[in-house]
Amino acid sequence: MIRINCPICGLRSETEFTYGEDASVTRPAMDESAAQPWLDYVFNRDNPRGWHREYWHHAQGCRQWLVLERNTLTHEIGTCRLAREDAA
Amino acid sequence: MVEVRSPLRERITPGQFGAPGDAGVVLGNRTLAGLWQIAGWSDFDEAADPVLQALGLTALGSYRQAQQAAGVRAWRTAPDRMLFETPQDLTPFNSAALAVLDLGHARTCITLSGPIARDVLAQVIAVDTAPDVLKPGMFLQTGLHSVAVLVHCTGPDAFEILVPVTWAESVWDILFENALPYGIAVREAA
Repeated sequence: MIRINCPICGLRSETEFTYGEDASVTRPAMDESAAQPWLDYVFNRDNPRGWHREYWHHAQGCRQWLVLERNTLTHEIGTCRLAREDAA
Repeated sequence: MVEVRSPLRERITPGQFGAPGDAGVVLGNRTLAGLWQIAGWSDFDEAADPVLQALGLTALGSYRQAQQAAGVRAWRTAPDRMLFETPQDLTPFNSAALAVLDLGHARTCITLSGPIARDVLAQVIAVDTAPDVLKPGMFLQTGLHSVAVLVHCTGPDAFEILVPVTWAESVWDILFENALPYGIAVREAA
């Protein structure tokens, strides 16, 4: 079982959360005119073996969006922060 | 104001069920005095202050400890969101900085008490319910039967569960099924 340490609710079972998306992608600048950066941003994702930054939603708890580190090999959970703080 | 009717009014049959003898669990349904949610943005502290003052509260509070004032219960459910049980109409506080939402018709309160209540709760939520962790006055938001609920510990062996009315019957049934082996006393809806 994966357990996620929500900054609001504390340590909770993964069943309370839903996966959002890859948090490692960065949106290109709005004046970016080349197609490739937008193609990468919208469609192309890495499939790393090891640590990965992801958005998760605490849907059955505080309903906050979180950014957490998850090891795709071991499912170990690393740091977990509110997405709003991560973006600041 | 439209009368709030319990979604469990046809489900609840008062009486004794399950194992004979003293009931390990008492189940019931309490009508909420009025349930309001306020939500804001980055200046939530400032925007929520007039509401807190009107309700006799002094601070936003923590994410684990419920607050209580005269006729008011408050739960800080997120950094920029709070829930209040109060008969007061909070609509006048609605503004560009604060979204006020009447949830009185959207939630119902299932009461769970008795010497085995804590054990029954532990069977249905994936959160530690030990007496030294979930103490009277504390609350938590979690999934019960995959339904997002708020569990408020109101006494050593007493809990109130705020449930979306559309899922009230499902949550009631799960609690009932899990409590049957210990004996259940079902109280008339209050």
